[in-house]
Amino acid sequence: MHVADPHEHHTSKTVDQALTELRTHAVEMGGLVIDQVGSAVKALLERDGRLAEVVLSREPLVNEYESRLDRDSLTFMALHQPVANDLRTARAIARSGLELERVGDESKKIARFAAKAGAVAAHDPVVAVGRSLRHMATLSTAMLRSAVRALDEADPGLARQVLERDRELDEEFASALRQVMSFVMEDQQFLRATMDTVFALKGLERIGDHAKNIAEQVLYMVEGERPRKTKKSA
Amino acid sequence: MNELVNTPTDFKHRQVVPMQGDTSTNKVEKPSLSIVLEDRKSARANPPKAAAEKLNFWYGANQALKNIDLVIPENQVTALIGPSGCGKSTFLRCFNRMHDLQPDTRYEGAIHLRPDNVNLVGREVDPIEVRMRIGMVFQKPNPFPKTVFENVAYGLRLRGVSNRTELAERVEKALRGAAIWDEVKDRLNDSALALSGGQMQRLCIARALATQPEILLFDEPTSALDPIATAKIEELITELRQRVTVLIVTHNMQQAARVSDFTAFMYLGELVEVDATSKIFTNPSKKATEDYITGRYG
Repeated sequence: MHVADPHEHHTSKTVDQALTELRTHAVEMGGLVIDQVGSAVKALLERDGRLAEVVLSREPLVNEYESRLDRDSLTFMALHQPVANDLRTARAIARSGLELERVGDESKKIARFAAKAGAVAAHDPVVAVGRSLRHMATLSTAMLRSAVRALDEADPGLARQVLERDRELDEEFASALRQVMSFVMEDQQFLRATMDTVFALKGLERIGDHAKNIAEQVLYMVEGERPRKTKKSA
Repeated sequence: MNELVNTPTDFKHRQVVPMQGDTSTNKVEKPSLSIVLEDRKSARANPPKAAAEKLNFWYGANQALKNIDLVIPENQVTALIGPSGCGKSTFLRCFNRMHDLQPDTRYEGAIHLRPDNVNLVGREVDPIEVRMRIGMVFQKPNPFPKTVFENVAYGLRLRGVSNRTELAERVEKALRGAAIWDEVKDRLNDSALALSGGQMQRLCIARALATQPEILLFDEPTSALDPIATAKIEELITELRQRVTVLIVTHNMQQAARVSDFTAFMYLGELVEVDATSKIFTNPSKKATEDYITGRYG
């Protein structure tokens, strides 16, 4: 197996340039999306409607990034017919863009909930699982950050760390669900808000999966072999 | 809670901080896409360097070019692709009047060279004069059986450059421009025929560059070379466009995709389609073009 060094130079500078542009583009998008997740959860926990609006207003920018990345990687493949590690790199970047766009969608949903949540109620599901929400947001953004960095630096070690951390996130999600259930049993008045809270938790859990998918793309990009699917804990 | 937002996302090679809607002050700013995502790469045509207008060409009774209208943008690479016999080489050779060397050929229409609008195929225009302004590189490297230095100096001498220092300077400049200087600087007085195929081809490019042509024509410049030598020539072509307008004929569609800004597809002596290369190779407008580049012909 040949482990590719992404910063090794080609005879053709145009190929180097195109790949660097694609990579930079994905990293920029990653930075934006990570902030979307953090801001959306912050807006929910602090009942900050304006911050939720910021997140919602930036959503089209995320989509724009994704479609550019998609188009540019397609053009790159059409014009340069990359093979071997160049091909895997172009594809990994395009697919990571897709994952990041979905992360953007999840943060949009959380921000929508935050925007309509209103003031904190006496008995509030968000408050009940506040600690879990915060923890899951921290975890999932950290995973995303590592995944995007692994993509940028073609670092398989970092990518493997992302795969391992997903379990932690899943466990936190399971424990948060138990908290929500006991909350509902005590008080069924806030059913709508409770459901939205569950969706927010689920969204964060999904964000971890997207980070994991990016990490798997990185492993395939660098090592040329698909990582064995890690079993997902419920 | 602040660890969630505005953590500068520190990636080794670059600092990425989200750029809009400063979340720390809760100010809502509408994102302006155009600032962040200015269009990175869209091939826009430079002003024209040459334009073929209703160009027809006959070998005897056989019409090889039919009503070609094609604009060649300045300082960009335009590639001509198409199956054998489609007229792409014939079209290329009109630019430096190569057909004049054959009996019983006839031009109709015009190729106007900007800015002075001289008609390259006009009967009143001297072919020698045309060739002074248009350089050409052929399929097979064809250096003169002379030294490396003399190959490049030849055209300059013809144009009356005789000062030795000036000759040496301009030869070096041309050799550097053709990315071959480092390989031949210590063997300028060796025979050019002792070079490798790829080096000979770059020497021929240097020879063409020495006289500072306005347009450089390439006729299948890499079909006799191995992949590495080909990659070097291709890299050179993409660099050359900063100095000269390039028109290249190639059988190799992938080569057209890699090196050109614009691609023209010709078939049976007609120009089927011309567009930005990225457009041609991702979504051509004509079915015939799509069939050809995807290999569905015949």
